[in-house]
Amino acid sequence: MTRELNLDDIQGNVTRAYGKFSFPFARYFFFHIRSPAAGRQFLAEVRKEVTTAARWNDTDNIKPATTMNVALSFLGMVKLRVSTKTLQAFPPEFIEGMRARAFVLGDRDTAKVEKDHDHSWCDHWDKIWRENRLPFTLGTDTDVHIWVSINSQSESAIEWSKPHPNFEKQTQLLRDLCKKVPKCPLTGKPGVELMTTNGQSGKDEYQSANAVFEKHGDVVVPSPNEHFGLADGIGDPVFEGQYPPDVEREKVRGRGKWMSADRGYEGWEPIATGEFILGHPDESQELPPATLPPEFMRNGTFMAYRKLHENVTTFKKVVSEQAKDYAKINKVPQEQAEEILKAKMVGRWSDGVPLSKYPTYDSWIALQTKMGFSAADFKANPMKAAFAQLAYMKTSDAVDFKYGDDMKGTKCPTTSHLRRVNTRDYLDPTNDVDGDNPNATTQLNKRRRIMRRGLPYGANDFKEKTDDTEQGVAMMLLGASLFRQFEFIQQQWIQYGMDFHAGNNTCPLLGDHTNHDRHTIAVEPKSGGCPFTMQLGKEKNFVDVRGGEYFFIPSMTSLRMMAMGTVDPT
Amino acid sequence: MPNFDTGHIFLTTLAPIKNGGFTNKAGIRVSYRQQVRIILSMLPTALQSPATQQMDYNSPFARNTRNHLCRMFVIDDVVYNGRPKVVPVIGDDPLTTTHVDSLGNAYLMFNADIDAVTEDGEALHQTRTPAQQDAARDSYARKLWETMQGELEEIYSNCVGFDGVDSADKFAAYIAKCQVKTTMPFNDYWLPGEAKLHQLPVGRITKMIKWPLYAAIFGLIALIAKCLLGWLNILPKLEGWLSYIYPGWIFIVGLILTILAVIYAYKLALSNGEKPMSAGKYGDLPSVLKSLYLQQNFADFAVDAQGKTDKQLHTAFGKFLANHKPEQKMSPTQHPGVISINAKGGIVKETGK
Repeated sequence: MTRELNLDDIQGNVTRAYGKFSFPFARYFFFHIRSPAAGRQFLAEVRKEVTTAARWNDTDNIKPATTMNVALSFLGMVKLRVSTKTLQAFPPEFIEGMRARAFVLGDRDTAKVEKDHDHSWCDHWDKIWRENRLPFTLGTDTDVHIWVSINSQSESAIEWSKPHPNFEKQTQLLRDLCKKVPKCPLTGKPGVELMTTNGQSGKDEYQSANAVFEKHGDVVVPSPNEHFGLADGIGDPVFEGQYPPDVEREKVRGRGKWMSADRGYEGWEPIATGEFILGHPDESQELPPATLPPEFMRNGTFMAYRKLHENVTTFKKVVSEQAKDYAKINKVPQEQAEEILKAKMVGRWSDGVPLSKYPTYDSWIALQTKMGFSAADFKANPMKAAFAQLAYMKTSDAVDFKYGDDMKGTKCPTTSHLRRVNTRDYLDPTNDVDGDNPNATTQLNKRRRIMRRGLPYGANDFKEKTDDTEQGVAMMLLGASLFRQFEFIQQQWIQYGMDFHAGNNTCPLLGDHTNHDRHTIAVEPKSGGCPFTMQLGKEKNFVDVRGGEYFFIPSMTSLRMMAMGTVDPT
Repeated sequence: MPNFDTGHIFLTTLAPIKNGGFTNKAGIRVSYRQQVRIILSMLPTALQSPATQQMDYNSPFARNTRNHLCRMFVIDDVVYNGRPKVVPVIGDDPLTTTHVDSLGNAYLMFNADIDAVTEDGEALHQTRTPAQQDAARDSYARKLWETMQGELEEIYSNCVGFDGVDSADKFAAYIAKCQVKTTMPFNDYWLPGEAKLHQLPVGRITKMIKWPLYAAIFGLIALIAKCLLGWLNILPKLEGWLSYIYPGWIFIVGLILTILAVIYAYKLALSNGEKPMSAGKYGDLPSVLKSLYLQQNFADFAVDAQGKTDKQLHTAFGKFLANHKPEQKMSPTQHPGVISINAKGGIVKETGK
């Protein structure tokens, strides 16, 4: 019997990646609380607008045009005067905040020490994040306290590249709310302030985000790509209670855990709810640590908000240069070499087709053609091809694979982005380097999964993107423990290579490669091919962090208690 | 479990720290325990992180090529795990406090994973007699005295019985006196397939216990049946070979044999556990350092060789062998106590160069 969740109590962004539910636009707002009373009133008003995880239907819970969700930083809850007894049991990494964890996350150069790095290490962050959580302070008037997101559907099926009018309406509601709540009695300033220091300019009212649109001839089509042109957001985990059983049966393949062939759906089962939602049993068959009162954390979760900038010029330049060598050694055309290198870095071909299932260039092209999203299909009918690609990404074929049969990574490199962020069955201790292990389990992986939310950001103006233009991904990583899940993946799997027998090498896509810049592509010796080590370049990373913070996404109950000021830990 | 395993000695020593305190050179009164902790906190670690790489000193333990890792720390007292559990109602009165164990003085714990050798660069041995193990331990202790006498004196002068230790031999004798038996060795230098674990012959042991146990059970049942039939007065007259069966004797002999088999199995399991596991062929520290050195250089070589012709590759590999001498264990190699050959002082150059 699957766990039945109180979906009306869980915020909607926890169970849904809105981008995949036809909400291609988003705005992320950040607020500073000056007076606890104003903060509580603000939350009370926002609570009325919050979208929950309740399943949409055609009668009493119709899918809205826009959604709204809210989360709080640790300092935000301090400012709301949540009691110390409740606050002291929050996890240390959450109390410290993302900035203080920069060394753990590899956001600071780990080869440098404090005195050589001082404050300059985050000079490239957006103003809002540069001024958040200033070191050696116990809170300043530039700290980020509340995160609010609004996601929007398109205006209509015809005007799909424009957001729904409700998008602006809800934005105005937040602005008005800041004026409506009482002013700070001490300073006379707004009791809750919408922070307008977003973006590289430091002047934006919110962090805007939207799906990337692509132009094929004169036709504009929606795409699942980020700004490097790589399909993203395919293999999110599936947990117990997230979907109704009939949907779960399909979704769980390749996205859940695999413990034994005779369990679940051909071995695939949903991951324990407690890995992603607090107050429920997790994969260690325990309740995740929680603060008092118990209902304060139940149905809530933690979120790392990270703005990831993409250096498009550098990425394209490195891929193109490395492809020249690869093309020469392997005697393939330059264009093909570029596609192969990108695929070997990511673990998927640029359109999302997994290398583990379609390891060769020819097998990939054959699948594209069969499924109707080949280059020729995009030329003939771009919209049809785009939807064929989106439809394929939702199939289990795009996610249902394991690595026990590819221990050396000759199909999908062991150090590719995909294998690092979700190791699947690769780390099963009974795996043999030389052999296939069809019974390999995801035992050492199921406690280290994260849910990815968020959307790309950057102008949809079809102009050439460079390192200096603003584009990337506004990333949100959700889980019951930031330390055990997000931070572990970031530190051990993205910024380090030991678990993949790759020493200090980092993730070829997200990793800091200013100290170690190699990415090795193995080949099956019998194929007669030649292994190739990419040199990613030590001058600049492909992805730079532009700031972020850790937030707690409260349940509706918790939100109400905070708004009413009735969090009672006794 | 043994002190010697996989060609290594897992040295564990406990040196009692003097009770009380003294007035140090700065005129400040400190306890001996505090003084040991001060010295240990200032002892440099190996140059393993960017912060430690900026120090002027490497760990004194990086001055030898025998220890893979070591730890020194102070044990203040035994940990109190709380009152032993008793059965409520029938146990002793929980309101009355019970005795709590404590140590008479603090101890300085020093443990090290060292190659069980007496010469630098000597290959590991599969077995070592107790005397040979002691010789390797003494040789290591003498090596420590030769390379870090100053640090050792600073630390151990706060310990009981160290007065008068002023030579390598006396330090070796002191360490020998402090040694306690190891119960928890570990290793991870085996090459694939090299680890030969001593499997307990479970099948043989089971058979050995099973048969006498069956006999005893048979004897017991027969004895009970005989008594029962006798008591009911319907015991038939046993004739022929049946008259030679004495159930009582079968039971007793079976039981004794079972007990003996269990004792033997217990002893076998213990002695099996005490057998040292095989030494890795390249499990000695100089081999480990050399392999790290070669691995890093070979990675660079492989990247540089990408796209080269067969002839160019042949020449380049010849140069690689000439420069890095894989057959020469002691040099050129990586220096102990550094994170990579690219670190400052990371390479031990070839002797004579």
